[in-house]
Amino acid sequence: MEIPVEIGVVYEGERIRKGEMHVELGGPKVKAKGELVRARKMDEIKDGKIEVKGPDLSEMEEGSRHSFGIFVEVAGKQVEEDLEAVIERRIHDYCNYVEGFMHLNQRYDIWCRLSKKSYGKGFNTLRYLGDALITLFKAELPIIEKIQVTFITDEKRVEDFVRNARKIYEARDARARALSEEDVKEFYGCVLCQSFAPTHVCVITPDRISLCGSINWFDGRAAARVDPKGPNFAIPKGELIDETNGEYSGVNEVVRERSLGENERFYLHSMFSSPHTSCGCFESIAFYIPEVAGIGIVHRDYSGDTVMGVPFSTLATQTGGGKQIEGFLGMAIEYMRSPKFLQADGGWNRIVWLPKSVKERVKDAVPGELYDKIATEDDATDIVALKEFLREKGHPVVERWVEAPPEAIEAPELEVMPAGAAGGIKIILKNAKIHAEKVIIKRVK
Amino acid sequence: MGKVIAVSGKGGVGKTILAALLIRKLIKTGHRSILAIDADPDSNLPDMLGVSVGRSLGDIREELLAKQSQFPPEYSKDVWLESKVLEIMAETPSFDVLVMGRPEGPGCYCAVNHMLRSIIDFLTRSYDYTVIDAEAGLEHLSRRTTQGVDDMIVVTDPSLHGFNTAERIKNLAKELGMEFKHLYLVVNRVSCEKLISEKVGSIEVEFAGVIPEDVNVAEYNLVGKSLLELPEDSPAVKAVDEITEKIRLI
Repeated sequence: MEIPVEIGVVYEGERIRKGEMHVELGGPKVKAKGELVRARKMDEIKDGKIEVKGPDLSEMEEGSRHSFGIFVEVAGKQVEEDLEAVIERRIHDYCNYVEGFMHLNQRYDIWCRLSKKSYGKGFNTLRYLGDALITLFKAELPIIEKIQVTFITDEKRVEDFVRNARKIYEARDARARALSEEDVKEFYGCVLCQSFAPTHVCVITPDRISLCGSINWFDGRAAARVDPKGPNFAIPKGELIDETNGEYSGVNEVVRERSLGENERFYLHSMFSSPHTSCGCFESIAFYIPEVAGIGIVHRDYSGDTVMGVPFSTLATQTGGGKQIEGFLGMAIEYMRSPKFLQADGGWNRIVWLPKSVKERVKDAVPGELYDKIATEDDATDIVALKEFLREKGHPVVERWVEAPPEAIEAPELEVMPAGAAGGIKIILKNAKIHAEKVIIKRVK
Repeated sequence: MGKVIAVSGKGGVGKTILAALLIRKLIKTGHRSILAIDADPDSNLPDMLGVSVGRSLGDIREELLAKQSQFPPEYSKDVWLESKVLEIMAETPSFDVLVMGRPEGPGCYCAVNHMLRSIIDFLTRSYDYTVIDAEAGLEHLSRRTTQGVDDMIVVTDPSLHGFNTAERIKNLAKELGMEFKHLYLVVNRVSCEKLISEKVGSIEVEFAGVIPEDVNVAEYNLVGKSLLELPEDSPAVKAVDEITEKIRLI
């Protein structure tokens, strides 16, 4: 069938204004809408088949709005379920290649318009759109050997379709959330903030979202695919040098290059020795509290003083600017949900203080037995009170407290073998001054 | 690709009136693909165009920052944002209105502004004309959340302070590395044209004309009536007719 309009990248981003629109499919004012790609077995689908379930374009009144579903089924030797999301993203691109057809958003939020002009040219059936999609998918993704497309415009049927699609999105999201650094070959870098911090580069892995909380591993992957030389780029992770700290040869290489030689290595999951740098616009700061050998966290929206006696803004000046400052780390709040969250430093076992609102927000990520042992501004606003609170609650860091000699030790480098859950790691305190009331050494069961 | 015109000037000099009257002229000459961008948080371009806009770009920027952690891992933020930009625009048969809205808060806007740059760029390409009501600090232009301006019109009132502001905007644009095809000056609320011409000569910009005091404009603004409905023989309308010719708008 001959499509009566042109198809090409030049039409991408073309906006169909309300005054120019023939019909609207989906969109904010329509309840039932959605799109889905499923991977099928070769014998399950019929190549090139296009179906329209419900009224077609020619049966719709000018200026009207309709429920809309786009269901694409693909098959091929290399087509696997894992690729569904990547293929589904292309529906947006390819629909927009069609002259006079606008496609916005994704999943259960799609919003399409067809222009009067294209309708006037004879684009009066969704079959043309199906034909364009099939041609583009096969041309641009050769792994697709068979493809069939179904459009749904009948409200009831779209509702059923979306209900089913939501289950598939959820399963897909669960798989995506379970993805870890071990499962992927590439991480992504982000230098969007280099105008503020020229030596800073954000390293984004499935276990570590960007400091601002805006770019996760999937966002990085999508952006790097569209514009590999842009501010988001792929980092081949290379060799795993140190599992606990999260040190990779590929990351170190990029850090060296992008920080203009300023920094040599990054530990992705430690705030000591070679911590990840911070730009200026991280969501929160993790700060080491030497008096209790624990880590406090404060987020940008918390306006009061931290347990250190200073507010976020003061700590931020210390943390930002693209320099590696041991004991200070800018991070996204979501990083607290990472299974690798500061794993080299003891993870949640090391967190001693954070504002109530953040504690509430990440409640599901805090190990249950620890939740009440971590202080908030309600429990402690200074170090003395914090110490008392931690001792009383039996927080795991208490086991790290060592007895103070009459005078403080001043050592250029001091090794402390930590007890507790994080066994087998090494913490080096450089130029540390330690005051402690007693030394407790316990066998870990 | 359409023409992008920015109208700038300090508050109260009547730049929003000029922006509205330029749009009026475009509509009257049969143009039906116009984008009006209100890029000054202190101005009221939608009111002067007789439309109401519920939410601003600033609002959805904040919405994204607040919501992004709840988005599913593979749910694309830029595609969401693009849809929201179109959702908050007021659409009329001949023009659409986008309000940039409140300034940024203390959070990180690097990623969201990066996405918005390409969205707004694509957006302006879809219109024959984009008219931006820009604040004197050129905030959105310098952050490039509003893209490539062809012609910049600086509006001033006939006061020394007004002319100084015009000069400053000119220099600011140069500092920010913005290249315009034309940089025009329009003097508003003029009662004695002769005195103006001398002062205009001292500033290195193309002089595009004056807009006289217009009692109709004052009255329409007072009762909240759209300037698009001003009669053809209204002094400000006639003046803008001449200005559009001078700047070869159409």
